Amino acid sequence: MDYIILIISSLLINNILLAQFLGNCPFLGTSKRMDTAIGMGIAVIFVLTIACIVTFWVQHKVLDPLGIDYLQTVSFILVIAALVQLVEMFLRKFAKPLYTALGIFLPLITTNCAVMGAALLIIRKEYTFTQGVVFAIASASGFTLALILMAGIRERLEISDVPLALRGTAIGLITAGLMALAFFGFQGMDAALTALVRS
Amino acid sequence: MLESIALLLFLGLAAGIGLGIASRIFYVWEDPKVLAILDCLPGANCGGCGQAGCGAAAEAMAAGRIECNVCVVGGFETAKAVGAILGQEVKEREPDFALSSCIYGVGEADPIFTYNGATDCRAAVMLYGGSKLCTIGCVGMGTCVKVCPFNALSMGEDNLPVVNHDRCVGCGTCVEACPKNIITLSSATRRITSEYVTDECTAPCQRACPTGIDVRGYIREIKKGNYEDALRIIKEKCPLPLVCGYICPAPCELACRRNLADKAVAIDPLKRFVADYERTTGKQIQPYKTPSNGIKIAVIGGGTEGMTTAYYLARLGYEPTIFESKPQLGGILRHAISEDRLPRDVLDHDIKGVLDMGVEAKTGQVMGRDFTVDGLLKEGYDAVVLTTGGFDSRQILNPAFSQQGNVPVAGVFTMLDFLMALSRGQGVSSVKHAVMCFSGEKTLETARKLRGSGCDKVTIVADKPSAALPNELRGIHANPVEGIEVRPSNSIVAMGGISDHLCRIMIQEVNEKGDICGAQEILDADLVIIPGARFPEWVFVHANGKPETPSDELKWQTIDSFQTFPRDARKGIIGAPEPGRMSDSTAVVKAILSGRRLARAVNQYFSNGVILPIEHLALEAESIPDVTELHHITTSERVLPALAYAEDKTEGGAMQLREPLPAIEESDAVKEAERCLQCGLICYKKG
Repeated sequence: MDYIILIISSLLINNILLAQFLGNCPFLGTSKRMDTAIGMGIAVIFVLTIACIVTFWVQHKVLDPLGIDYLQTVSFILVIAALVQLVEMFLRKFAKPLYTALGIFLPLITTNCAVMGAALLIIRKEYTFTQGVVFAIASASGFTLALILMAGIRERLEISDVPLALRGTAIGLITAGLMALAFFGFQGMDAALTALVRS
Repeated sequence: MLESIALLLFLGLAAGIGLGIASRIFYVWEDPKVLAILDCLPGANCGGCGQAGCGAAAEAMAAGRIECNVCVVGGFETAKAVGAILGQEVKEREPDFALSSCIYGVGEADPIFTYNGATDCRAAVMLYGGSKLCTIGCVGMGTCVKVCPFNALSMGEDNLPVVNHDRCVGCGTCVEACPKNIITLSSATRRITSEYVTDECTAPCQRACPTGIDVRGYIREIKKGNYEDALRIIKEKCPLPLVCGYICPAPCELACRRNLADKAVAIDPLKRFVADYERTTGKQIQPYKTPSNGIKIAVIGGGTEGMTTAYYLARLGYEPTIFESKPQLGGILRHAISEDRLPRDVLDHDIKGVLDMGVEAKTGQVMGRDFTVDGLLKEGYDAVVLTTGGFDSRQILNPAFSQQGNVPVAGVFTMLDFLMALSRGQGVSSVKHAVMCFSGEKTLETARKLRGSGCDKVTIVADKPSAALPNELRGIHANPVEGIEVRPSNSIVAMGGISDHLCRIMIQEVNEKGDICGAQEILDADLVIIPGARFPEWVFVHANGKPETPSDELKWQTIDSFQTFPRDARKGIIGAPEPGRMSDSTAVVKAILSGRRLARAVNQYFSNGVILPIEHLALEAESIPDVTELHHITTSERVLPALAYAEDKTEGGAMQLREPLPAIEESDAVKEAERCLQCGLICYKKG
């Protein structure tokens, strides 16, 4: 039950993009077309999950025993960057179609703040390994969801009569803001859900 | 402190070594050529080459699946660089460019409703095909501008797309995006040989003109005072503007939309005015050419059709040479039309224009006496084009019917020559198999005479079904007579031979509509009799596509140049009664049209190997949208003298002679040009 709450919470209530405002750069950059958005979304799910697994291990097996927590950010960046490279090589060798499909998005998200943020949050919230993986997948799915919604809206904006001054990124940011407002409606739902389950 | 440095060092080292090992384990061999090619490509990922982006194109190039000159963005420079990597020689590819055809924007054209939806052409067209009355008009939402990856398009003031030719690379993205086919890709070659098609905005005058001169275009330039540009537009389609200005029967003026309100614009006198301007100022104005390709073509016959073919071939980069039997070029224009109507200095002026385009002329050369078709091919010409037939093919020397001596076209005789030779008592003893076209009652009689004079076998080819043939022929078809065979529903589509002997004839089945589309058959034949007295327009080429070595015997064949003629004339290379011909001698403009089409056929043969008919020709269209009445225009009297045509506005009436025209004043010309309504398909200038 807790896992369901965790999934709903990280997918909708604390949506990594629209509630925590992490990863706004690809959110605006790759949401112009639906197929790009889907590609980016899948790449994020893929990388974020693997990155969280590895950073979890680094935190608990390296940083904690040595007592050098303050190196968390630096070492996470290093680890994630190396990891993405490795994954890219692996995919290229053994899964060429997936490699071509993910294409440019893999290296693009090497140091994406959504990936970094999720990895750090897992440590901060003191999740167990399983909780951490579920959280990672759900957060990344939340990212993908927001990205696809945005792409759908922007494809329509493309053919709409937008005032000249607002065309392009401006209307994109306004749309993102309005979407965040809509997602704001989910706030507090997690507490209510928890209470419902406990009672 | 030390700890943290050590840790980071360790993590970094671990990651580095790990990646290093992984790069060995997961090593994928990639063709270094692909990477090198990718470096040369512009990286626009436009898909103009037909591949999914530059990466895919580089792979396909390295694998040899596509030519290395397909990149439209990089052009010849890129192709050369790629060619160097692959060790290939690169042929320069003619650059394509986008062309927009609509001339009346949404604001000016007649609407059927006001559109207020999404600003995308593709969305706008979903609603009754757009808000304009005109079904082929631009809907003006600028989708082409949005999709252009090179910023080469913009929307002009009148809401029509404007192409910036410096930026356009011809990738074709806009062509795919435009739901109305307003934007098409073109190239210099395609423009030179283009014909109007039904989904193109054409004015009634343009469609009425056999040569297809952009009438509204040149009148617009005259109005602005740009006489040189006006002449350039005329010469784009017509190599003899001054001659046409003097003697053209001007079918365009009968089609002129102003006839609905007052009197037609003086289209032809205006042409005469700009052509005269060129002559009096001495500035020679020539339209553009494509780069030379070094292919030598012999054009036999220096009449209008021959000069036009040579003129267009020269513009397409060929090296044409005209062979004319008379001491001077001009054909009917020089020898049949009275000097009162066409002063000879006028003719000479236009002929000079044709020659200056890069045409060589050899006069006083009689076919059969001074040269023969196979002789020219042996001499090194890549093709021989026969344009002899304006008034009498017997200018060609046909020395003896016995096939001894110089035969102008191996194994080919006109029926008239044959009958005359027979009456002189000459026979055809050495002929094994003669083929002739059905051309009426006379055919069977001629076939019997052929048999009687020693020919082993005669085949009569008819493009009609057997039921439509005369009784006697039908009888022979049902119960074959010895030595005479009838082949109904067939047409002769090609001839082939070795040196000065005709060897074979290819016939092909025709359907009920008369279209050649059925099974082909090759007959071994050594004589062809053409009905009538004129030679068709034929194009002879080397049979194996390249000149033979001197020791080899010359093998030649004809190409299916008739494919370029209108559908109703596409009856094979010999038809009846006027054999496979496009031009008749009724108007100079008709000969110009067929001359251009012959040049198109030759060019298609040498560039693609196949000659394709032009589909959806505006000339062949059963109906084209037009207007039947004019609204909101101010009537004005015709400034320039009218044609002397009869009141009836039929085709026959259009072909009447005209009074000689006095010289035209510049002010009158501009005033007359202002009367032009600048018509589109159904739009016209109001007010």
